[in-house]
Amino acid sequence: METLQLEVLTPSGPIYNGPAKSVTLPGEEGEFGVLPQHVSLTTLLQAGVVDVHKEDGKTESIVVNWGVVQIARNKVVVLVDGAVAIRGASEGDIAKALDEAKALINSVGDSNAMIASVSARIETMAHH
Amino acid sequence: MANLKEIQRQIKSVSNTQKTTRAMKLVSTAKLRRAEELAKRSRLFAQKTNQVIAEIAGRIQCNKVGGIDNRCFLENSAPQVVDIIFVTADKGLCGGFNMQTIKAVRRLIKDYENKNVKIRLRGIGKKGIEFFNYNQVEMIDEVKNLSSAPDMQRSSEFMTRSINDFKEGIVDAVYIVYNGYKNVITQELHVTRVLPVNVEGYDCEEVKNSTLELEAQDEEKMLDSLVTKYAEYNMYYALIDSVAAEHSARMQAMDAATNNAKEMVNSLKVKFNKARQEAITTELIEIISGVESMK
Repeated sequence: METLQLEVLTPSGPIYNGPAKSVTLPGEEGEFGVLPQHVSLTTLLQAGVVDVHKEDGKTESIVVNWGVVQIARNKVVVLVDGAVAIRGASEGDIAKALDEAKALINSVGDSNAMIASVSARIETMAHH
Repeated sequence: MANLKEIQRQIKSVSNTQKTTRAMKLVSTAKLRRAEELAKRSRLFAQKTNQVIAEIAGRIQCNKVGGIDNRCFLENSAPQVVDIIFVTADKGLCGGFNMQTIKAVRRLIKDYENKNVKIRLRGIGKKGIEFFNYNQVEMIDEVKNLSSAPDMQRSSEFMTRSINDFKEGIVDAVYIVYNGYKNVITQELHVTRVLPVNVEGYDCEEVKNSTLELEAQDEEKMLDSLVTKYAEYNMYYALIDSVAAEHSARMQAMDAATNNAKEMVNSLKVKFNKARQEAITTELIEIISGVESMK
């Protein structure tokens, strides 16, 4: 099956680098999904959650506070300021990541509705 | 005999110093490795950001009537006010590391003053701030405890003040001066102009052939947002590069100090042995001459 190459870069290093089936991004004008063979596009992202649908059927979530995405020739590069990947070997690790994600979102603080919706999403992740 | 004790005391004190310097060297070596790794990972982000900025700036330059008019991209040949941001360490004991940066800043200030350009100084790092305070050079912004532990959020806050001044037209150019890491034994002084952004030539042919989808009204907004991040990131990178350089400089300085201490202990030991020999000889002579006089 065709996949796209996803790279999520932060100033302190890459946070995700690998193939993905598809990826959902929090665009400035709303969430949008990217599948392989997507048209070339560069756009801004707002604070939110990047969902990576991996080859093995699992989904990984990365919380970001700002970003720019560049899509070209099956390669998706997401440049972000701060990002927290919700993953970990144990439940403790994941809980810690969720706390960091919340702190990251709260530090953005321009639109309250946006923060509330992202926080709500983080909360639902916590219950899974 | 008093002399012997004095030398022994000196030997002990020097070898204690040697222990300390050696430990400091080891600590710096470990910290350097971590800092170097961080700088390396961080460079990926820089490459991509520069690429995206160049692409969008190129599109605007080639497609818009009159070219690009964003202040952040316009070359200013006669700046009136210039911001200089310097990065030094918070701690000393790292050889000429801090002094090199300070000297470069002073040279830059002098150059601009000769051209009648007003300089505004923003300082990061205790050592540099202390120096300019002592010399009564005015600083409009100073931050301590950031250069020893670079933090994206704090560096962004600091940089935002300068970026905003630039966008509002209060400042015409922003420079960052710092001592960066080249390799384990050398540091390299960087004087980087952050704003206006340096874009190397626009290739309109490439823009025409690009398949990039972008709505025109988005371009300006995106560029603006990107430039802010670009400047903030440059500040952050200067900090992590500087911290790596600081550790490498300290490593070297402490290595030299350890070697010097070793040499000093050796020469003190020779001195000690000589003094001891001398004391024994004197005693012997006294005994012998005592025996001789009894005869």
